[in-house]
Amino acid sequence: MLRDITLGQYYPGTSVIHRLDPRLKIVGTFIFLISLFLVRNFIGFGIAVGFLALQIAISRVPLSFIFKGLKPVFLIILFTVVVNMFMTRGEPILQWWIISLTKEGLYRAGFMGLRLVLLIIGSSLLTLTTKPISLTDGIEKLLSPFRGVGLPAHELAMMMTIALRFIPTLLEEADKIMKAQMARGADFESGNLLQRAKSLIPLLVPLFISAFRIAQDLAMAMEARCYRGGDARTRMHAMTFSWRDAVAAICLVAFVAVIVVQSHVL
Amino acid sequence: MSIQIRDLTYVYSENLPYETVALDHINMEIRDHSFNGIIGHTGSGKSTLIQHLNGLLKPKSGQIIVDGIDITGSDVKLREIRKMIGLVFQYPEYQLFEETVQKDVAFGPLNLGLSQENVEARVREALTLVGLDFSELADRSPFELSGGQKRRVAIAGVIAMKPKVLVLDEPTAGLDPRSHRDILQLIRNVHEQEKNTIVLVSHNMGDIAALSDQVFVMEKGKLILSGTPREVFANTALLKGIGLGLPPAAELMEQVRQRCADAPRDVLTVEEAEQQIVRWFGKDKKC
Repeated sequence: MLRDITLGQYYPGTSVIHRLDPRLKIVGTFIFLISLFLVRNFIGFGIAVGFLALQIAISRVPLSFIFKGLKPVFLIILFTVVVNMFMTRGEPILQWWIISLTKEGLYRAGFMGLRLVLLIIGSSLLTLTTKPISLTDGIEKLLSPFRGVGLPAHELAMMMTIALRFIPTLLEEADKIMKAQMARGADFESGNLLQRAKSLIPLLVPLFISAFRIAQDLAMAMEARCYRGGDARTRMHAMTFSWRDAVAAICLVAFVAVIVVQSHVL
Repeated sequence: MSIQIRDLTYVYSENLPYETVALDHINMEIRDHSFNGIIGHTGSGKSTLIQHLNGLLKPKSGQIIVDGIDITGSDVKLREIRKMIGLVFQYPEYQLFEETVQKDVAFGPLNLGLSQENVEARVREALTLVGLDFSELADRSPFELSGGQKRRVAIAGVIAMKPKVLVLDEPTAGLDPRSHRDILQLIRNVHEQEKNTIVLVSHNMGDIAALSDQVFVMEKGKLILSGTPREVFANTALLKGIGLGLPPAAELMEQVRQRCADAPRDVLTVEEAEQQIVRWFGKDKKC
């Protein structure tokens, strides 16, 4: 039921990729995604696919999980490919009525489709191998230089952490309440739109009350432990930039260099 | 209404790295009009098991036969099953949502499609049965009540559906001693008046020993013991081994018996202990 929904889609593991510094992973992912836009031909994409495949192999995340991320955007990819295939002018291969399939169109469709797939897999590898909490920690650290200009980096990260932390709790709560009401004969599945919206009241009212209760308890517990925001806080798991991260960073720089040289110099 | 459970198996998060077997080939029989206790640790599968009883969870394999009908089949009308088997969840007061107590208790009966007058009669009856004053509380908001009263209202919401089997998951969790006693008494009253079957999940060995005809012990998704309270609580070593222990009175007599071999055995409840000790002290004691 509800608890089967996976959010953040983290795949637990202990690989080198899992253990990399989240700051490096976030910045690295951005650089990888940007470098995909520098690619100008299929050889470049071949290099990118190889680089990504290597990362996936090292991370030991099963391929089925990697491709799951593509499912929700499958239609968008399909649309892009089809539009590019038929809307590009050039040397026609097939012609039928007003539709013409051109050589250039086929090339561009393949190019765009591959780029989209790489973009999605590249970014989902980040969320698959990084715990949501480490992600927000990484974001906090990356944003902290901007605190000078008034960006509340710690507060933002804390809000994200709390929100992420309570998604499973609230899902579980919703699941429990839903089952309790179903045991009392509530029907969440049939009826027209209005009836269905109305049938959600027995779920939503208790859920809101629970959410407020949980928030209040959490605020109280944090205050009882003297929480007072980000200044001068130390952390239990300090992020360290180790030799592993250095190696990964060098690999990434090498990859970007190869891509730039391959598509813009050669 | 009898329930037979055959080879029931359930797996959480199947085919994921964190998959867990919550129920492992459970076989049990719940007899008509009986009072059944289920004990076991947190995570032993008790709650998962009772959610199968009215079709809230679908088993991976196995059957649940209620009055000759297998309710795990796909052609079964779940509404009919939920009419027969009422389930009171842990902390049921968190499911209250209506503006008034009366409307909240009426939610279940209305879902069964009963007429307005019929529903009102049932609400009145259920609230009285749980020991609440209908005229005083009917029009108040359930959110203004005390913790114990909220719980009674929530239990009344299920009783008003007049289930033939009433399943309660730790109905006394988090209550003060007095509310604890009151809730157990009201369950006993419901059992006697409605002549229904009760399934009570509890951590309290004393309550289970005092109330149940049949006791089932769960551990790590398996049913490891079942029988009358006397049969089950005779397995002292096994129960202690899994961290459950005995009812307090039985535990006390066990300690006494380690010093004096002729101390009474087979004691489960405080009342029994009292009688037995008086009789034992009447004899010529050696220690």
